[in-house]
Amino acid sequence: MSNIFDMEPSTMPILSYREKTLYASLLAEILVYGSYVFLHRQNSVDKVAGMIAAVIVLQIVLQLLIALFTRNRVTDERDRLIELRGYRAGYLTLAGLMVLSLGMLWFHAEAHNMNFENHRLGLHFLSVFFGMLIIADITKTATQIVSYRRAL
Amino acid sequence: MPSIRNQIRDLRAARSMTQQELADHVGVTRQTVIAMEQDKYSPSLETAFKVALALGVALEQCFQYEPRGKR
Repeated sequence: MSNIFDMEPSTMPILSYREKTLYASLLAEILVYGSYVFLHRQNSVDKVAGMIAAVIVLQIVLQLLIALFTRNRVTDERDRLIELRGYRAGYLTLAGLMVLSLGMLWFHAEAHNMNFENHRLGLHFLSVFFGMLIIADITKTATQIVSYRRAL
Repeated sequence: MPSIRNQIRDLRAARSMTQQELADHVGVTRQTVIAMEQDKYSPSLETAFKVALALGVALEQCFQYEPRGKR
């Protein structure tokens, strides 16, 4: 319940529906991606696909629970603005990592005469690209959470 | 400091209206009303008109534009 004099200027204790879903997304990402990074030393295509499926399923379950226990599910222009800000941060992170990895690949190929026929190379690329996606995704969600905490 | 300031908090208090009630009138979340009252978020023109309408005042009574460095 709110009254006309509530909310001191420096505090914003209540979370909106969108903000709750963001915390749930971050939790799902950290749980799934964290276990992928720290528990799976030997990567495979199946494990990467499994991780993507796991994060999707976990997100759906968490979003359903939040939707179930949140009465007011209104989203507005500020939510959309913050969402866009998050996607911009995620895109810039992904693009930056992509350029960095292309540069490293080029350097590696020049310096060590890299063998592109190696059968494990595809898996190595898959892991690197998946890692870049993980970092960009977490950056996106974290940027949105920070934007909410700073009021925008 | 923001260049758009507002009197939402005072106008709302004068009408004994809660943040949630204003948010419901305008169609935004309560968090957005809080952000506007703290001058941390400048709403779109459409939302600004809706806020003024909900508070029963003209737009310029609710929102004021002050160019940066003029204060």
